[in-house]
Amino acid sequence: MNYVGKACLTGCLQPVGAIVKRGAMTLAATLSVMTLGTVGMSAANAAGTIAGTDILNTAQASYDGPGGPVVIDSNTVTITVDELLDVTVASADPGDIAVDSGATQQVTTYQVTNTGNGNEAFTLTADTAKGGDDFDTSNAVIYLDTDDNGVFDPGVDTIYSPGSNDPVLAPDASVNVFILSDIPVSATDGQRAEVELSAVAITGSGTPGTSFAGQGDGGGDAVVGSTGADGEASSFFLIQAAQVALAKSATVTDQFGGNQPVPGATITYQLVATITGSGSLTNLNITDDIPTDTTYTAESITLEGANLTDSDADADAGSFDGSEIAVSLGTVPGGQTRTITFQVTID
Amino acid sequence: MKINLLKRLAMLAALAIPGITPGVAMAANNVALSSDVFVERKIENADGQTAVMLEEPKTVIPGDNLVFVVKYKNVGSTPATDFSVTNPLPKAVAFNGTSDGTEIVSVDGGKNWGPLSALTYTRANGEVRPALMSDVTHIKWKFNRSLSVGSEGKLVFRGTVK
Repeated sequence: MNYVGKACLTGCLQPVGAIVKRGAMTLAATLSVMTLGTVGMSAANAAGTIAGTDILNTAQASYDGPGGPVVIDSNTVTITVDELLDVTVASADPGDIAVDSGATQQVTTYQVTNTGNGNEAFTLTADTAKGGDDFDTSNAVIYLDTDDNGVFDPGVDTIYSPGSNDPVLAPDASVNVFILSDIPVSATDGQRAEVELSAVAITGSGTPGTSFAGQGDGGGDAVVGSTGADGEASSFFLIQAAQVALAKSATVTDQFGGNQPVPGATITYQLVATITGSGSLTNLNITDDIPTDTTYTAESITLEGANLTDSDADADAGSFDGSEIAVSLGTVPGGQTRTITFQVTID
Repeated sequence: MKINLLKRLAMLAALAIPGITPGVAMAANNVALSSDVFVERKIENADGQTAVMLEEPKTVIPGDNLVFVVKYKNVGSTPATDFSVTNPLPKAVAFNGTSDGTEIVSVDGGKNWGPLSALTYTRANGEVRPALMSDVTHIKWKFNRSLSVGSEGKLVFRGTVK
């Protein structure tokens, strides 16, 4: 009789190679507070004097003339402040975003800020084909954070379409931008992908100092500032996968002090779950059927050497439902093992 | 760079003094006063060296360095005593010093005057600190002697477009 039963993993939809669902959404959610804070601080004008402002200069002299004190004004010199074209882009993702291979519509988050001194519209471009990374994402779509909460909201935030809804930003104002793209199935654990967003001033960009006559906000010229009126920043995806391997062994102790699998002998089964990979497995459950022609020894489940009860109603991880034992391991990171034992007697 | 700039100013002054038009000086007054504003433009020469040229701009951008030149001349027939020249600084300009350092300034809209080092600035929260160039709102030159008939001069200060 073969008493080495079949171990299985249930309760986890994708037990082998199951992935941490730590998506970009969650990361973006924690970020939203910071992002909102930044947007709110638009009072100070770091961009400089607003484009179109007239600088008027008049000197004044006073003296005592023959008829008493005299005050005279000079001519007034008027100079108009041109529009300075400047933009910065920053990634709002604090670090690599953990994703699963094959995951679709994964979000990276950026902030585009008009650091110029006039109202300016910007063209946005996503680049998923950057060199120097391990794989490229596909089907990139840019969204604008319509409700300005720093978090991508499907159905709320609008798709960006170049030339039709280019964001127009006041001096020092920012807009949050999301790129949604798909992770290829072929990407493997530990691989990274760079996703870049660039923003270019529509009036013009290029070498700092380049001037666009008469095109400035406020009626003057538009002049390319130190940023080249072209900014870009990257976020990164990191594949964090984990897999579990289950090894089962059995030790027989008979009632005569020997190791013979005779009726009445006790079999101690040991299940060792080994988790590998850079990610974690969530909601990892391990179950094992009690083999036919054996009887489960009540309250015999252990996890890492500690006893678990048979009840499913209590808080501990173990249970026995009359036909199989089950142990809920929760989230287990790669590189760890979990050892479960239970006993049966041969009928 | 500085020598170049001063040369330029000298040239401009030489050109411009005769250009003080009678229209600027009102008939009843015997002192003419004119204001010119120049912007420093960096120009790269063929030999790769950068030269600073002064231009009379119609437009500027934040960060541009401006040179303000105030010219005065006693065009009347009597000396002008207790002569002083005041230039309120345009709001969009940060003071960047004068060429002669003989000016007095105000950091509170013309209420109190003195050399910058003798002034303090009171912040919105009531905190008092030594005044900085960026606090300056007015610049004034006081002449200790009277301006004799026919005498003239120019006053130069620098500022940066905020």
